[in-house]
Amino acid sequence: MTISGKARFTIAAVLALSLLVPASVSASAPYDSYTYNSSQRDVRSIAGYMYDGSIDGINWPSGPLNRPESMFISEEGNLYIADSGNNRIVELDAGHQYLRTYGDTEGEGALSEPKGVYVKEDGTVYVADTKNSRIAVFDKDGRFIRDYPKPESPLIGATFSYSPSKIVLDKRDYMFVVSDGNTQGLLQIDPKGEFRGFYGANHVGFSWSRLFVKLIATEEQRRKLAAIVPAEFSDLDMDEEGFMYTTTIGEEANQLKRLSPVGVDTLNFGVSRQYGDYFSVGPFTMASFIGVTVDDDGIITALDLQTSKLFQYDKLGNFLFSFGGVGEQNGLFATPSGVSQNKDGTIYVVDRGRNRIDWFRTTPFADLVHQASVLYVDGRYSEAESLWQEVLKQNANFEMAYQAIGKSMYKAERYKEAMDYFKLARARHDYSLAFKEYRKEYVRENFTMLAAGAMLLFAALRWGVPGAIRFARRKKTANAARTAPVALSPHAKEGESI
Amino acid sequence: MSAVAMMRRILFKPIDFFEDIQQPGVIRIRQALLLVVSAYAVRMISLYAAGFAYQDREPYQISALQELIWLIAPWATWCVAHWAVSAILDGEGKFKEIVYGSAFVLAPFIVFMIPVTLLTRVLSLDESGTVNVLMYAINGWMVWLLLLMVKILHNFDLKKTLFITVLSIIGMLIVWFVGILLFGLSNQFMSFVYDMVKEIRLRA
Repeated sequence: MTISGKARFTIAAVLALSLLVPASVSASAPYDSYTYNSSQRDVRSIAGYMYDGSIDGINWPSGPLNRPESMFISEEGNLYIADSGNNRIVELDAGHQYLRTYGDTEGEGALSEPKGVYVKEDGTVYVADTKNSRIAVFDKDGRFIRDYPKPESPLIGATFSYSPSKIVLDKRDYMFVVSDGNTQGLLQIDPKGEFRGFYGANHVGFSWSRLFVKLIATEEQRRKLAAIVPAEFSDLDMDEEGFMYTTTIGEEANQLKRLSPVGVDTLNFGVSRQYGDYFSVGPFTMASFIGVTVDDDGIITALDLQTSKLFQYDKLGNFLFSFGGVGEQNGLFATPSGVSQNKDGTIYVVDRGRNRIDWFRTTPFADLVHQASVLYVDGRYSEAESLWQEVLKQNANFEMAYQAIGKSMYKAERYKEAMDYFKLARARHDYSLAFKEYRKEYVRENFTMLAAGAMLLFAALRWGVPGAIRFARRKKTANAARTAPVALSPHAKEGESI
Repeated sequence: MSAVAMMRRILFKPIDFFEDIQQPGVIRIRQALLLVVSAYAVRMISLYAAGFAYQDREPYQISALQELIWLIAPWATWCVAHWAVSAILDGEGKFKEIVYGSAFVLAPFIVFMIPVTLLTRVLSLDESGTVNVLMYAINGWMVWLLLLMVKILHNFDLKKTLFITVLSIIGMLIVWFVGILLFGLSNQFMSFVYDMVKEIRLRA
């Protein structure tokens, strides 16, 4: 009796306590989370990013956002928003509190639909002042310093229409400018305002259909065809090492590029890779990347206008996460136009259509994957292994984890296990490498058995089998002779003798 | 003679084999069917039993029915088209001989494909050259046997052999084209009848 009474009390106490502990808050994202496996099928995954809040500027002294185009986040975490519809740049502090506005006063510094902004470490603000066809420079207190008009150069040509939309500065203070509709590459402008050449232009690939048309079309028909021009850049970002990350629109593959300082794409070196969704079912639409941001570890997040989704890739271009989409709910966008991220890994998405900026925080799963992926990309496979095991514990469908663990096993010379993991990752090439090592090991360990087996097999084939056949034949002829001592037909005899 | 003995004959003495089958009473159609069925079995085994590094398809992507169609349809249309073409252009071969010969042309595949498949289980991808050479050898052997068959059964010279073979392949394509056409038309016809019955029932 007393025992049951005690038990009852304990249960009651536990129940009472559980009322005091707040139930864990859960929210489901309004978008599906998935990764792509090696056969390019989407596989359900755990969400990497969750909607966390929005900035609309409704209580700012100078009025709310109106068609914001893009934004920049400084080292300290200050937000600079290119608020195109209000012809201004708004600066917020890391806590999203309003600080000041650039370019909204009359005079030389007045901006006209600025689409891009970049801030140097000392706080100098460079604005791609799109409608005014210039780069405007402000100091950190919001005073206009100077501007860079359209650069003059015979390379550019007189008919070139200059509408700078995105800008990044490198360590030498050279400006790299995306000009809307320009297919020759990024414009490089030095601090004096001199044009220093185009950078990293896209190329027109070879096409059989074009060759065919060229062969059969007459001169007149050819003139009527649309000119084939390289695809244009839409956004750019730069990492610590000076590599330029760009997005290209109007291309089906290699839309994301990491350009080295000499303008060579190092992300898709020698391969053609399709970023974004594979539209294997449904309408045949092409991903159209318009925004890109890269963190200190080289993890690339790109914004696709076609699906309004963000796609995240590691430094090697492996797909990590996707989030966002078209819709009204928080976490979806009307017309996204830019993406940026701060030091904590929070991703800010500028939604031009809804006049606001949404920010997304990483989930613990994403933090884990990022940590593991950074070690993996650096080739520190064994350190990454336990992290990847943890990833698999949370999501056993994360194919990249199997590959990474397999590599770690391979490095640790545990070839048999490596083979199992590579098999799960459907990584045939790596499997084959591990298999070769395993085979070597196996032969070395079982050499006596294998050699004895080979000798036995040889003996059996050389003497055993012919002997058995001869024996069977002798018996057959003996039987035939006993039962029917009649000569076989000449034709059948010929067949027998083979 | 048994199918195994005939297979040995086509592998080691192909010319004699094709001379032999022109003799009366040698051809047994059941043996030809047996060879086609075993070629199918070997094909399925080679798909499933290949080493992981050499599997170019996931197991769920392998369809037993599709493989069957891809073996039977070309083989059967070859027999029909080749017989039709050669009969018009003074070939001496009979339909029975063509069917029997064409089935036994698959013998190298049946005999050597399984050892090659087993080999893929102990070779890594950078040794794929060996496997490729062996596969080419098997395919080349079959092509050679096929040409030999055309030449001997119909008593053609080399030039005519090649000509008839190419014509037979074109004939195969025509058979397929007509087949697909008939299939489409009959589909249309069926749906037409179906719609008509439906309409009559609605109005009546």
